[in-house]
Amino acid sequence: MAFVQNLPFISIILSLFSGPLSSILSGKWAKRLNLAVITLIGAFSVLVLTFVLQTGEPFVYFMGHFPAPWGNEIRVGVLEAFMAVFFCVIMLLSMIGGSREREIEIEESKQNLYYIMVDLLLCSLLALIYTNDLFTAYVFVEINTISACGLIMIKQNGRTIEAATRYMIMSLLGSGMLLLGICFLYDLTGHLLMSNIKEQVQILAVTGQYHTPLFIALGLMAIGLAIKSALFPFHAWLPDAYGYSTVSSAAILSSLVSKGYIFLLVKIFYRVIGFNVVCDSKVINVLFVFGIIGMLMGSISAIKEKDIRRMIAFSSVAQIGYIYMGFGLGTEAAVVASVYHILSHAATKSLLFVAASGLTDASDGSGKFYDLTGAGYRNKIAGIAFTVGSLSMVGIPMFSGFISKLLFSQAAMGHDMKMLPTLIALAISTVLNAVYFMKTVITIYMPATGKVNMREGRVIPIKEQPVKAIALIFFIVLNILLGLSSEPVVNLIRIGLEMFD
Amino acid sequence: MSEWFLLLVVLIPLVAAVLSPMLPFKKRNSRLFFLEAAVILNSILVFAVLLNRPDASLTVFRFTGNLSITLKLDGVGGLYAGLVAILWPLALLYSFEYMKHEHNEVSFFLFYVFTYGVTLGVAMAENILTMYFFFEMLSLITLPLVMHTRTREAVLASRTYLYYMLGGAAFAFIGMIFILTYGRTSSFVPGGVLDLTKLAGRENLIAIVFVLCFCGFSVKTAMWPFSSWLPKAGVAPTPVTALLHAVAVVNTGAFAALRVTYFSFGPELIRGTWAQKLLMGLIVFTIVYGCSRAVKETHFKRRLAWSTVSNLSYILFGIILLSQEGLTAACAHMVFHSFMKICAFFCAGAVIYKTGRNYIHELDGLGRKMPVVFITFTISSLALMAVPGLCGFISKWYLAKAAVLSENPMAYVGIVALLISALLTAIYMLTIVVRAFFPGKDFDYESIRDVQDPNWLMIVPLVIFVIVMFVFGLHSTPVVKLLEQIAAASVR
Amino acid sequence: MKELLLVSILLPSLAGIILLASAFADVLKKKSKKQLKAQAKKSQTPLHLFVGAILAVSAAVILYTAWSGEKSLTLFTLVDNISFRLSLDLLGSFFVTIVCIGWLAAGFYSFVYMSHEGGEKSFFGWFLMVFGVLVGLCFSGNLVTMYFFFELMTLTSMPLVLHNGSREAIMAALKYLFYSMCGAYGALFGIFFLFRYCSSLDFAAGGHLNMTLVSGHEGILLAAVFAMILGFGVKAGMLPMHAWLPTAHPVAPSPASAVLSAVIAKFGVFAIIRTVFYVVGPEFLKGTWVQYAWMTLALLTVFMGSMLAYREKVFKKRLAYSTVSQVSYVLYGLSVLTADGFTGALFHTMAHFFIKTGLFLTAGVFIFKFGYTKVEELRGLGKKMPILMWSYTFLALALIGIPPTGGFISKWYLAAGSLNSGINFFSWFGPVVLLLSALLTAGYLLPITINGFFPGGESEAEVKEEDPHLLMLLPIVILTTMAVLIGLLPNVFVDLISRITNAVLW
Repeated sequence: MAFVQNLPFISIILSLFSGPLSSILSGKWAKRLNLAVITLIGAFSVLVLTFVLQTGEPFVYFMGHFPAPWGNEIRVGVLEAFMAVFFCVIMLLSMIGGSREREIEIEESKQNLYYIMVDLLLCSLLALIYTNDLFTAYVFVEINTISACGLIMIKQNGRTIEAATRYMIMSLLGSGMLLLGICFLYDLTGHLLMSNIKEQVQILAVTGQYHTPLFIALGLMAIGLAIKSALFPFHAWLPDAYGYSTVSSAAILSSLVSKGYIFLLVKIFYRVIGFNVVCDSKVINVLFVFGIIGMLMGSISAIKEKDIRRMIAFSSVAQIGYIYMGFGLGTEAAVVASVYHILSHAATKSLLFVAASGLTDASDGSGKFYDLTGAGYRNKIAGIAFTVGSLSMVGIPMFSGFISKLLFSQAAMGHDMKMLPTLIALAISTVLNAVYFMKTVITIYMPATGKVNMREGRVIPIKEQPVKAIALIFFIVLNILLGLSSEPVVNLIRIGLEMFD
Repeated sequence: MSEWFLLLVVLIPLVAAVLSPMLPFKKRNSRLFFLEAAVILNSILVFAVLLNRPDASLTVFRFTGNLSITLKLDGVGGLYAGLVAILWPLALLYSFEYMKHEHNEVSFFLFYVFTYGVTLGVAMAENILTMYFFFEMLSLITLPLVMHTRTREAVLASRTYLYYMLGGAAFAFIGMIFILTYGRTSSFVPGGVLDLTKLAGRENLIAIVFVLCFCGFSVKTAMWPFSSWLPKAGVAPTPVTALLHAVAVVNTGAFAALRVTYFSFGPELIRGTWAQKLLMGLIVFTIVYGCSRAVKETHFKRRLAWSTVSNLSYILFGIILLSQEGLTAACAHMVFHSFMKICAFFCAGAVIYKTGRNYIHELDGLGRKMPVVFITFTISSLALMAVPGLCGFISKWYLAKAAVLSENPMAYVGIVALLISALLTAIYMLTIVVRAFFPGKDFDYESIRDVQDPNWLMIVPLVIFVIVMFVFGLHSTPVVKLLEQIAAASVR
Repeated sequence: MKELLLVSILLPSLAGIILLASAFADVLKKKSKKQLKAQAKKSQTPLHLFVGAILAVSAAVILYTAWSGEKSLTLFTLVDNISFRLSLDLLGSFFVTIVCIGWLAAGFYSFVYMSHEGGEKSFFGWFLMVFGVLVGLCFSGNLVTMYFFFELMTLTSMPLVLHNGSREAIMAALKYLFYSMCGAYGALFGIFFLFRYCSSLDFAAGGHLNMTLVSGHEGILLAAVFAMILGFGVKAGMLPMHAWLPTAHPVAPSPASAVLSAVIAKFGVFAIIRTVFYVVGPEFLKGTWVQYAWMTLALLTVFMGSMLAYREKVFKKRLAYSTVSQVSYVLYGLSVLTADGFTGALFHTMAHFFIKTGLFLTAGVFIFKFGYTKVEELRGLGKKMPILMWSYTFLALALIGIPPTGGFISKWYLAAGSLNSGINFFSWFGPVVLLLSALLTAGYLLPITINGFFPGGESEAEVKEEDPHLLMLLPIVILTTMAVLIGLLPNVFVDLISRITNAVLW
């Protein structure tokens, strides 16, 4: 066994233990530790990824060398490793980009708590990515929820606490359903390990036994995770949670936490149930319909928003809709598109949140569009970054959003029934995206002269916040990279999905 | 010539544009000289490339296996590139003078010259993705030009502009995906690329997608019901409304519609379907609608903009006739209309520049004070009205000829619409002329005593346009022969 | 000497352009009104000499060209494979002669008349331009060339209408323009179709329809031809597009209204003749709905025009309505598509030209001398201007069609043509309407004569005879003489016209 194969487990453990360690450190050191851990894990993941790519097949890591069903398994394929790398990159950039806000918005004494939460979150995300055990997955889903709540309410004002409570309730509802689904499956198959469950499920599917319970189990898990990842109409918790929490929380929550759940759902589809069974069930039609409605409703809500952060939050609802719509199409290509969109959206949304914080900074902390007038001139790099993010969201070629749009519609072309609805929904959603994102872009590039009762912003030169500027530049580069050279990424996803079987 | 020149002509304006605010020019004139030199050089290069057309295509960049940014020059593209190459230096010359009374001219010239490269990119796109790429880029790059004045009105207009542009592109996107999926290739091939074996029995689907795609591209061409952005965009400085919203941007829409119709979907597939009927209905309606709105409009530039709406649909009408003759006529009107309308807009701009007057009722008597401007305006009006001897008549003639040849009753209605539109054109253009030259007996010329023609920077382009209108009007054979060859090569 | 065709067109047009340019230069010099007026006065005589010389020389060249045999000249390709082609045939010569006479008469008349209107330079400029354009129209050798001159005619004659610059004149000019454009575009609609279904658009007696192409598309082609008749009919003041004529003609200076009404309106007729008899061919229309519709419209116009003229109080407007009615006589004559009808139509073209020019010039004298515009003001003028009133009376009689004037001959042929046409209802109904209209004509023209000579009421004091200036009087008298003369010696003219008729119809 190569040493590299230990790295996924080490990564999980590393992040898990760095949490408690942070509790005895000061905020500053906790931050440094956190960044170091994320970087290290990212590097590990890169190693793992190259390893898997070289061998060309996934490997299974038995924890404590006990084989299943007694021991716990980690399974690493291309997609898992790639996700780990990507999540680390995004998390790192989000942490860097939001560091200044954290220092301002979080009490000095609680700074280290925040990093504990982030460490735990990373740990749970990695576990969700790697684990081959359904129950382990459930456990880490809960850890994920808890730490996410912590991230939301760390600002400790009324709104964030309310938002955290809402998030908690909805999330727990989701986890509950997930748990129920897992119970059903356990009941049906007698296994908790993904590969074993799948064998049994395939047999059941062929024989046609227990059709209804199987369907219910799948439905429960899908809906549970859908609630947790804020698929319309379960998105009510989202705008507050993303809109009022501190920037890096919002960026991480929107681009990583919900994506972790979605990735788990992909794993369930492929590794637990088997994609053929999923496609035969009606569940995907439900996901498809709600995905499309979410795409449109999310954007419509975003258009009505007056606050930039909440607008971006609502946009997430729409983007999550895209991803579920992709699942709903029920083809290999569509899932590739969805997974690609997970990446693209993660990269874009965190960029937008960080850029928006830069803009609000330059407008005396107000996120209202009225006050943001001309903010693009006051904080140049944030303005450019926001513009790039918006263009990507609208799906302009050269940016990552275009490629996901392209992949989605190409996937839709394979369908007879769902083709036109998908294409038209995509087109309408593009228009709606354009409406609110480009309106914002125009607003921030409108001169502020002649506005009455506008909060007085100030010019923020790049020198003042070099770290954030660097984070933003990296985000922009990442976005354009995803947009220009999407082929290797798409190939990775494709290979990774093949490795799932 | 080497195919690398294709990339070069796209890049020169982009680079020159980006350099212009960065280079430390001491005087305004030296910056302008730099830009004008770059643009003229580029235009010369464009014509050099046109005359020695490289056969090979040039792949600049590859997104994925079959998706690439590829440039190639063919007949139709060459025509459009040539048209743009003639107009840009003249328009730039004009704007040097015009922009004196506007702010922020550095950024204006940056985007103005940048657009040149992007437009050439559209003209030289080899496949549908490249075209879409430049098409989107054109929408975005012209946005700062629309909101140039940064007034509330300009900002609202630019929002509308952007929504329409991006919305149109979103629907055009559907067509693009369709071609990528069901086409034998994504390149533009005369006669279309759709793989009929994959699509057997799905004619309705083709029709639906074609309608969506055509409408999507035609948003830029301001086809009804997507036309209201164009008059609103008239808040931009006149060089923008003249060159971009009468020529470059709007013709790009028509050009793109032409591309997908003749080179991607293929005219054979669409001819006689409900898609053709529906689109022709919309187009014919736009022809009349645009003119009627122009008659109602009292703002000078907006009136011209509505006139553009109508005239652009002439081009679309030629395209949707789906025949070689139709294509010839469409190309002819694309070229001729550009000259007529840019001239009319420049006249409007000269009036605004010299007097600051925007509304038609304020133009009384100016004809006697700005004779060159208003005589050129009169000539361009007559050309737009399709008076024989001027180029507008030629394109209308070919459009009608193509419509008659098609023996399609709907096309006959189209001819009627063309003529109604010509009549309305007479109404909305000549009322201006009559006002300007014959303000009435009691008009007090003292109130406009100091008004006079602008200087040569503005006059030279106008005079050149007028000469072109006459030359094309009286001696159209060579250019029409050329267009016929192009059309024949585009319809197999 | 086929280049003479071009020379005849260019000579007056260029002279016109020179005058216009110089007028424009005057405006640009930013002189005050007073200076301008003084300058205008000074340059009046040279101007008149110039215009007179141009008119005379042009007329000589044109008439020489017109009557020195058929010729044609192809200049360049205008559009598609259609050339800009000038050619001359008898019909063209006939019309161009009318134009020359009209322009000479009105031109010399204006030397005096225009001195009270002002803006002489630009008036004569446009006046000469229109002259050149009309000559071009007569000489045009194919439909597109003709359309080219037809549009130019509208555009160059419009400034004549708005000459005095009052709001009313400007509105009238615009109305004129839009109606004419409307007509022109209707005609253009037809041209598009004729181009498709004719082997050539060159004028040739009997037409060029390519029957193999036409078969199966008769419906649309008929519609196209009808559109052309309606379209060109606008210029001729045919219903339903007649409303511009009574608005536009009266506001123009009288010599301009004379040529507008008596000459330019005829070019609607000319264009219809060219279309129907020289491109489409009368055979194609015979017995179709187009013919019936055309006849109906013409008859309606004849009647309506007369009725409206009868009710009209303003003298020049009354004359304009009369033109509406009279030109439709011509159209009716054409629409029956018989030899006699055609002859009658052309004869009436000529007769009406002499009469109406004379009448408008007479009306001009009233305005020039007394500023009278209303009919009821024209009382007792017989004593003051006996020559003028007598010539007026003769003109009126000629228009009514009392033998032995020109009007009688034309009506005779028109009626004969209609009765021979073999179309049951129209063959007798047409002449009845013509007769009725003649009665109305008498009703609206003769009261002026009566009031002129017998004003009634109080016995007036001694009235001084004050016939107008010779330059004004002479054209009127000559025209009157001609109007009567063609009735006395009709054979010369009928022979000429029959040659045209025979070429076209049989």
